[in-house]
Parts: sequence; structure tokens; C-alpha cells
Amino acid sequence: MTNPSGALPAGDAAIALSGLNLSLGRGAARVHILKDVNLEIGRGEAVGLVGPSGSGKSTLLMVMAGLERADTGTVRVAGEDLTRLDEDALARFRGRHIGIVFQSFHLIPTMTALENVAVPLELAGHADAFDRAAKELALVGLGERQHHYPTQLSGGEQQRVALARALAPNPAILIADEPTGNLDEATGRQIVDLMFAGHRERGTTLVLVTHDPALAARCGRTVRLRSGQVEAGAPAAAPAGTARATALA
Amino acid sequence: MSQSVSAPSPAPAATTPPGSRLSLTFALREMRGGLGGFFVFIACIALGVMAIAGVNSFAASLANGLAREGRVILGGDAAFSLIQREATEAERATLAAEGQMSVAATLRAVSRTADGRTALVEIKAVDGAYPLYGAVATEPAMPLPDLFAQRDGAYGVAVDAALLARLDLKTGARLTVGSATIELRAVLASEPDKYAGGIGFGPRMLMSEAALRATGLVQPGSLIRWYYRLKLPGETVSDAAVDAMIARANAAQPDAGWEVRSRANASPQLERNVERFTQYLTMVGLTALLVGGVGVANAVRAHLDRRRDVIATFKSLGASGSRVFAIYFAQVMMLAVVGSIPGLILGAALPYLIAYAFGAIIPLPIAPSISAPDLALSFLYGLLTAAAFALWPLGRAHDIPASALFRGALGGEQRFPRCGYIVATVIVVALLAGLAILLSYDRRIAAVFVAAAALVFVGLRLVAMLVMWLAAKAPHPRATGLRLALANIHRPGALTPSVVLSLGLGLSLLVTVIQVDGNLRKQFMDSLPDKAPAFYFLDIRNTETERFDAFVRDQAPQANLDRVPMLRGRIVAVNDIRAEDLKPAAQAAWVLQSDRGITYGDDIPQGSRIVAGEWWPKDYAGEPLVSLEQRIAEGLGVGIGDRLTVNALGRNVTARIANLRTVDWQSLGINFVLVFSPNTFRGAPHTHIATLTYPGGESGDREMTLLRQLADAFPNITTVRVRDAIEAVGELVTNLILGIRGASGITLVAAMLVLGGALAAGHRQRVYDAVILKTLGATRARLIGAYALEYAMLGFATAVFGILAGSAAAAVIVTQIMKLEFAWLPGSAALVALGAIVVTVVLGLLGTWSALGHKPAPVLRNL
Repeated sequence: MTNPSGALPAGDAAIALSGLNLSLGRGAARVHILKDVNLEIGRGEAVGLVGPSGSGKSTLLMVMAGLERADTGTVRVAGEDLTRLDEDALARFRGRHIGIVFQSFHLIPTMTALENVAVPLELAGHADAFDRAAKELALVGLGERQHHYPTQLSGGEQQRVALARALAPNPAILIADEPTGNLDEATGRQIVDLMFAGHRERGTTLVLVTHDPALAARCGRTVRLRSGQVEAGAPAAAPAGTARATALA
Repeated sequence: MSQSVSAPSPAPAATTPPGSRLSLTFALREMRGGLGGFFVFIACIALGVMAIAGVNSFAASLANGLAREGRVILGGDAAFSLIQREATEAERATLAAEGQMSVAATLRAVSRTADGRTALVEIKAVDGAYPLYGAVATEPAMPLPDLFAQRDGAYGVAVDAALLARLDLKTGARLTVGSATIELRAVLASEPDKYAGGIGFGPRMLMSEAALRATGLVQPGSLIRWYYRLKLPGETVSDAAVDAMIARANAAQPDAGWEVRSRANASPQLERNVERFTQYLTMVGLTALLVGGVGVANAVRAHLDRRRDVIATFKSLGASGSRVFAIYFAQVMMLAVVGSIPGLILGAALPYLIAYAFGAIIPLPIAPSISAPDLALSFLYGLLTAAAFALWPLGRAHDIPASALFRGALGGEQRFPRCGYIVATVIVVALLAGLAILLSYDRRIAAVFVAAAALVFVGLRLVAMLVMWLAAKAPHPRATGLRLALANIHRPGALTPSVVLSLGLGLSLLVTVIQVDGNLRKQFMDSLPDKAPAFYFLDIRNTETERFDAFVRDQAPQANLDRVPMLRGRIVAVNDIRAEDLKPAAQAAWVLQSDRGITYGDDIPQGSRIVAGEWWPKDYAGEPLVSLEQRIAEGLGVGIGDRLTVNALGRNVTARIANLRTVDWQSLGINFVLVFSPNTFRGAPHTHIATLTYPGGESGDREMTLLRQLADAFPNITTVRVRDAIEAVGELVTNLILGIRGASGITLVAAMLVLGGALAAGHRQRVYDAVILKTLGATRARLIGAYALEYAMLGFATAVFGILAGSAAAAVIVTQIMKLEFAWLPGSAALVALGAIVVTVVLGLLGTWSALGHKPAPVLRNL
């Protein structure tokens, strides 16, 4: 399966962050979460973000997805300078280029599996949203459960629906926040297999946050964060054939 | 909204709807879990719409009844009425030439039993042609000629059952009225033209014209109103033909001074009263809608709070803030439609229910009907209210960040929504207010209502802020319960603003209704003013005034008799401009609408004070002068030196305004808007009116004795016992209050619902608090104590405001609209305060009880 509507401009990095700083909270409660982060992730690369709790992994993921705005620095994702986009433009950008998988699945409880997968396609205005959603569900092995609601599905099935939803618009970048955190080991492995299959077969850039060393090891490269900074000397084991994959910090 | 879904859904359509349809599709999918969480929302809209639709439908049914039954109510296609005189031969001939004519006369008189008991009756005497339209129903049923026939020296009459009850008589009994013997042959079940004459003080007695003449009460100047009703020839007579006939009659008899009504305005007074009453009810209905609006806002806020994750998910999948707004706005409007439907059905059914249940006892011609424009208007009110109260919280949903999914709930941020949503809210609120004002009977009162509602909203917001500020600044008490209660009142996302608003609105209304109600009761039913007269005596003939004065002084030497000449006259022109061409202010319009009592005298009447000009000297003999009540003069736009033309006893008299007076109407003494110089009417045939006042107030026994003695000695004089008259008015007031209470009841139910909803909205937080505190060793009793304290403090603070706002509103209504004195009733205010605290604590604890029942472990696992 090849891409797709969310294809990246040739030769450009999938994600390029430079001089990124971000603080949250107000007054005395303000916390400097990301500190001068510089990071470049190449097209088709699979990167694991690791680090202790509170090190800023999820926040960094949110910045990449345009869900959080940096105080300073530049954020270039899929060739687009996210700092220049307003809220609605960011939403449309996500719809076209980014797929997200959450730890808690975040399926819409009043919609069936099929409808959940169709939502991003519908929002992007695809006329064949339901046909494509049905195919995606079949790819994650839930072709028979399209019309079930989230409460009628197991945790693993829900996460498979969430993965199908994230991949349905054929995003250039798939980001996952501890995708197996709420699943047992065997189910978690299935999800990871599916996720990496999607990454491989569609050439999707994969960025995932995990505490699981085994999962991190499956990524081409691991970026370690500590106290909001990318640790120097992080292994840069980018697989051959992918674009530059350098931790610039 | 419950999120459990039991069965797989059918496959959706294969194509994706565009733009707004997509929002609608998502909104519908979002509502699949059912409407459970929206009970308060739907109930609030349903109650509000029901109140408005019910009031409007009832009013439309009354208007319909008045219009459809116009000629029956009027007793003909047109009616010409004269007071204190019968039509001349020429006038009768003019009218008789236009169609079939029927003559009727109405007057008040005293009826006496053989053993001396008396009762005031409202006589209607009719000729053989009566009724021209409709039918008289009697029990037992009998043709009118049989009913009225003179047998064994007695004239037959039909009377209201109330007279039989009052005098403890049965049909067949005999009475005397004036000098005629009357036999009560039947009970009057209905008379077709009942509503035309307004509301009487006594039971109706329907008799023949011959019987009336036999009473001897028809004397020159007697206060008898003569009606000449016409039925025009032809099967269908157009309104234009009726108007043309009236114009011809007026042209033929320009000086008749009669009051003319056509079937199209059979009873303008009744219509006006219905409109005014409707307006008050509409205001109460709007309050219900307003209170419901608060419920809507609370429900929408709670709903969006529950859906934060879904909203954030939508956003993470590419939905813009506007799309999120559109989805949930569509949902709110669909729910508003869902809530409006039962409201519209119940509202439309209300006139039918009222006609079915109370039709026989309501003195109004109700013709129940479905009024589509009124229902559409109520529907519009419902939608606008939902939009007005939902736009603000929905606007905030625009900015719910998708990052909430990563970071968990960020807590209820209190940001303002974007500018566009604020502007939209202002526009919708303005539309709602504009509609309420534009469509009201009296726009000034409606505008005051809207302003008062806005003030109460702002006031309650300030009260909530003050309570939160005080709770935050209060010294930290050592008692855990109190500390928890204070913290709950001021913490971010506290229930304080929504509880204060929901409870405060309901309380303000309740206090208003109770204070107005209490004041009206006090005015009409409690003790009369000390100086109030015990009796009015009507129709004292010029020739018997001295004998009457002597008799009363002899029988009641200690009482104060006040007697003045009394005529009825109608203002026909002001400075030579015809009355119908004048545009008087609302406060003076009534003076021109019918004939008024007028008098003349050498001295300034008691209870009056000259505020401009001079009173005429004794034995003044110049051009006729008149003294006018000041407010009426202002309303008519006239002053000293202007000329008033009055038609009295069939002739026009023009007098110059010599002075203006203020009048203390509440003294219940004899007061007139118009007092003429004596030379104006001296020598004209007229009667006198008198009041008798006992020093030190009323005395039942001696009043009844005097009543009997007077009835024997002066059978033609009509005695009205003031207490009876006041009670008759009081009864009417009670009925009006009942109507207002009914509508207010709906508002209170809405307020309770909203309060319950507001308290329930904090349920999740309560469960969390309770579980954490129980984990730390707090007992249920201690938690309940803390919560009860919190609710009691909120209830008390809100009650204080509710009493202040409600009392102020009641004072304005009583003094400015009803023109009565206002007396604050502390007892009922204290009761309301107590009730408010109890209701808040009970409703609050009801919700909290289940929170206390939660086992800590499962909750902690899901935190």
C-alpha cells in the first residue's frame, strides 16, 4: 500500500523541531517542560520517545501533532510550519497528515467501530469514507465487528479500532502515546505488530512514546528525554535507506 | 448521556454528508446513548414552552370566544345604551327603523324577604324580543313569557342560585323589590349577554320590563342603564353594514349621547382585562422560560464537561473548533425541539382543560381553539431561550484543547468564549427581550420586566461572587466539616454560581407572588380602613333627601352621613375635539370609555386637595366650571381654562376647568373625577348618593339592623354594604391570583428542577471528594454535616437576595401598577427563607447521599 493523500514533499524531513521551549501553568505554578529541544525525524522513520515520567515525552508528541503550541522555536511537520497555523488550520492539518493513537483509545462511545474509523475521513470530506473505513477495519482484523459500539469491544479490539482510525486517512505521520499501556502483553504485541505493519507498508513516519524497552527497541531510533531536554548521545540507529535521522541535541 | 449501547447499529449510508449536514450527522450519532442526561434540559424547555403556549392559547381562546360570540355577548348586532334616561320616541323610532329592536335595563336594587332580610341584586329587565341572539337557560326550563308572567299579584323572575343561598330560599319564594312583589320562579343557569355589563356586586335577577316598572324604581335620574339592541335584517350582515347603520343612527340623533357598541367590540373592557391578565401571565410564563434557561445552561455545561474527551478526540481527528461548536449546537437545538413538543402539546391543551374543568365557574367566554401563530411563537421562544443560554458554554467548547486527551481533565477553565459567540449570545438575548417587549400588551411593563430580569441575573451573579469571595477570605476554621463546606463554596468549578442563580430566580419570583398576593388580600379581605364607610346608598331621590337624612340620623346618630348629588355623564369632547379623536395616555383612557359618576357642590369634597387653580366661590353663578382629578387631567393633556363637554341626562354641557385635585381613592369615601359648580346641573332631575361611616370602624349587627330598617322605609333606595362589595371584588382578585399562582407554580417547578440539576451537576466531584475523604477516615455523618452546612449557607445567602429582589419587585407592582399601598410582610418572607434553606439542603443531600454510598476502591481505580 503506498501513500496517499498525506504524502510528504520529497527530500524534506517529516518532523523538524528547533530551539523548542514550552512552559505550562501560570505564575508560581509555571513549569518549564520542554527546554531548547532540537530534533529531526526523517520520512518513514520509526522513532521511540523514552524517558522517565514528567520528562516531557507526551508534551513533545503534542507539539509534533499541533495539539500544543511551543513558546519559542520552530515546528516543521510534513513540510508545514505549524507555528504559523491557527487553531482551525491545525485541525485541518492533523486531519490530512497526522494519525494519533492514544493510550486510552479515546473512541467516541456513541459511534460504532466503523463510524469511529470513518470520522477523520468524513471530516476531511471523503465521499467514500465508509468504504475506506470498512477496509481499514478489515486490515486490523475487525471486519466482522464494524457495527459494534466501543463498549461491546474488548480493550485490544478498541485499540485496533483506534489504530484503524489513525491510519484511515493514510497520514504521513503516525504518533502513538503509550499505545500498549492499557493492554495486556499479548494484546499489546498484536497492536504493535499492526502499527509497525502500517508503518512499513505505507511508509508512514512513526513516533511513539513508550516505557516499554522492548517496544522502543523495535523502533529504528530511540530518543531519550530527561527533564524536558533531549539527552545527548542518544543512539541514532536509523535504518538504512531512510532519510537523515539525527538527534541534533 | 448513558454511553452503554446494547445492539450493533445498522450500516450507515455509503456517502459522506457535506458541511453542516456532517455536523448534524455527528450530533445525531452523539445522541444515540439516549436523552437520560438531558432530563432537566428537556423538562425546563418543556415547562417554559408549556407556560408560554398555555397562556397564549388560553388568551387566544378567550379572544376567539369574545369575537365569535360578539353579537351574543352584546345581545345584538349593535347596542345603544343610555344611563339615567330612556330613549326618546324619536330615538327609538330611529333605531327601530334599522331592524328588530330589543330593550333591556340594568340596575342595582335591594330585594327584601317578608321577614325583613335583604340582599343586593343586579336586575336585568327585558322586553318580549329578548334575547335577539342566544338563549336564556333556566332551571327548571320554561319559556320566558311563562317565567315573567304576572300571577297572583307577583311578577316571575329568574335569579342566580347565589341569591337563593344567601337568603336561604327555594324557587317559588316571594320577595319585594321596590314596591313590586316578585316570585322566584327559576334559577338562572345562563344568560347569553352576561359578559356585556361587566362584573356585578350582587346576584343577577332577570325580570320583565313590566316588572321593573312595577317596582317604582324607574324615576327621572335613577341609575338605570337602558340598552337598545338591534338585530339587523338579513341572514348575513357584514361588519361594514353594522358600522354604516351606527353612523346613520348617530347622524340622525347627534345629541343622543348614547354609548354605542357593535358586535365587533362587544365588551372592550372585558377584552382589555383579558389582555392585561394575559400579559401578567405571559410575564410569569417568560420567567418560567428564563428559569428554564438557567437549567439549559447548566445542562449544556455539564454535558460538555462529560464530553470533553469526545470533543478533544474530534479535534485530534481534524475537527475545527467551529465544527465542534456546530455539532453540539445542533444537538442543543434538537433537544430544544424535543423539549418544545410536549410543551406545545400541553400548552395547546390547556384551554380545553380549563374549559372542561372550570368552564362553568369562569366568568369568561372561552372558545378553546388551537392557535397556530401563538404556538409557533411559543416554539420560537423555546428555541431562542435554548440558544441564548447555550451559546456561551458552547462557545467555550470551541476552545477545548485536544491536548486534554494526553493530560487528562484540565479542570473547568472560566475563560470567556470567543468574541463571535459573545456577540451571538447578545443578539439572541436581544431578540428574546425584543420579542417579549414588542408582543406585549403594555410595552412599558414588559420593558420593566426585561430590565428587572437582567438586574436579577446580574444581582445573583454578584451574590455568587460575593459568597465565594467571603468563603475564600474567611479565616480557616479548625472544624474539618466547616472547612470543607467553605472550600466547596469557593473552589474552582464550585456549584455556587449555578445554585445561587437557579435558586435565586425561583425565590425572587416566589417572594414577589407571595408579597403581591398578601398585599391584595390585606387590601380586599382583611380589615377595612377605619374611616371606610359601612354603606353606600344609591338612588336617593331629590324629593326625599331631607327625609332620608333625618331617618338615618335618627337610626344611627353616632354615624357620619355624607350625601352628594350624583349623575352619570360621559365626556364627549375636550376643547371641542370629539372624545373618539383624542389620544389620551393609558392612565386616563378609561375615563373616556364609558359614562362616569359626576357631581356638583359648593365645597371641596372630602379626601380631595386642590393642587392647581381655585375652587369656585359659594353661590357662584357664572359659566359652568369643573374640577378635574389631576392624573386624569395630565392623561388627557388638559389644564386650567380648557373646556370639557359632558353629556348627562341627554344633553351636552360644556364647562371650563377651574382647578385640579388629587383624590385619596383608598379612603373609600365618595370621590368623583369630575366635580361641577352647582349651577351647572341645578334643577336637573337626578338622584343622590350617600355614605354612612361609623366612627371606630364597622359593626356587623347594627349594620344589618339599619339595612333592614332602611329597606322598609325607603324601598327604592339601593343600599350597598361596603363589606359585601369589597368581598365581591376580593373574590375576583382571588380568581386572578389563582391564575397567576398556577403559572407561578410552573415556574417554581422549573426552578426546583434547575436547582436539582445544578446540584446533580456536582455529583462527580462529590463522589471524588467523598471517596478521598472516606479513604482518609471521614465518616458519613461528618461528610453529610459538611455538605448540609455548605448547602445551608448557599440557601441562606440566596434567600436573602431573593427576599430583597422579590420584595422590591412586589413593591413596584403594588404601588406602581396596582396603585395600592405596599406593606412588607415579614412573616411570609421569613417562611420563604426557611423554605429555601430546607429545599437546598434536602435536594443537595439527596444527590450527595448516593455519592456517599460509593465504595472507595472502584472509584480510586478509575480516578
